[in-house]
Amino acid sequence: MTDLKIIGNRNSQQQPDIKLLRLLVDKKMATDAGLENLVDQIISVITNDGRNIVGVLKGFDQATNIILDESHERVYSTKEGVQQLVLGLYIIRGDNISIVGELDEELDASLDLSALRAHPLKPVIH
Amino acid sequence: MSGRKETVLDLAKFVDKGVQVKLTGGRQVSGILKGYDQLLNLVLDKAIEFLRDPDDPLKTTDQTRHLGLIVCRGTAVMLVSPTDGTDEIENPFVQPDGA
Amino acid sequence: MLPLSLLKTAQGHPMLVELKNGETYNGHLVNCDTWMNIHLREVICTSKDGDRFWRMPECYIRGNTIKYLRVPDEVIDKVQEDTKSRSDRKPPGVGRGRGRGREDTSSKAKGIGRGMEDGGGRGGGRGRGGVSGGRAGGSRGGGRG
Repeated sequence: MTDLKIIGNRNSQQQPDIKLLRLLVDKKMATDAGLENLVDQIISVITNDGRNIVGVLKGFDQATNIILDESHERVYSTKEGVQQLVLGLYIIRGDNISIVGELDEELDASLDLSALRAHPLKPVIH
Repeated sequence: MSGRKETVLDLAKFVDKGVQVKLTGGRQVSGILKGYDQLLNLVLDKAIEFLRDPDDPLKTTDQTRHLGLIVCRGTAVMLVSPTDGTDEIENPFVQPDGA
Repeated sequence: MLPLSLLKTAQGHPMLVELKNGETYNGHLVNCDTWMNIHLREVICTSKDGDRFWRMPECYIRGNTIKYLRVPDEVIDKVQEDTKSRSDRKPPGVGRGRGRGREDTSSKAKGIGRGMEDGGGRGGGRGRGGVSGGRAGGSRGGGRG
């Protein structure tokens, strides 16, 4: 909102610069609806090669490269329960990310992963 | 930009030396580096390509073919390493613990 | 924290890099740039299936072929120190939000560039004394394959 007021003042006699306005709105959306509010929270990432990695989001950039701390991979299989592989500190390249999701810690804690069977995800086909 | 310090690797030290180049798409060539530019276009002399397993194009075999003098397009260059000191070795990692 | 700041801070540290083609490279980070191009030393390359291994004295990897990088846990703490000392030195908002409209992106890029340079000298020094023996990096490739 403050951003928009500034624009209004600057161009008070004229039409606001629509392009500039749109740029600001876009920028605001990028931060408000983006990953900013997930920082330091546990997130779940699905990569293009079908892996599911869970960890604490420590940072990201415009290319959606992300930093995951204390991360682990969840390996799904139909034969046995979900295996968790400890990965540690990871930088995942944005190119390779399909989905970033917030993880409901309470719900997640209530899951019995060892009893969970699922098909592994297939990689993305480009 | 600050000082145009954009080349992470100084290719000058590889000129007239053997280099191995992996290209996007899976081709792998090696040759003597004769020249390069900042876009990572490379000129390789006496280049050979390592042919790939027809059943699995991600695997290279020991079969080669001679290409001679070639230019590798920078945009396709994935990886550059010196041939000198590059060898296939036994598994150097301690046995991965099952978990 | 920006992923590339973390990467820059990891200079001199061992790391594991997986490429989009599934090959993994274990080595010490010598240098990196804003494209995530990286230069590694004392490298062990593992094939996609984890069944063949090569050692190479050094290698250059183009950033856009990287899938992910695994860096030692302690590196993240070092970044925080760096960013703190940096914001002490400069007025807040140098990197972000200065300039207007389009110019914003370029000023941001400049901010990054300078930050990297800062880390450069220090990173090298730290590296030499740094942590040795990366975690069992190969287990990743082997475990999956």
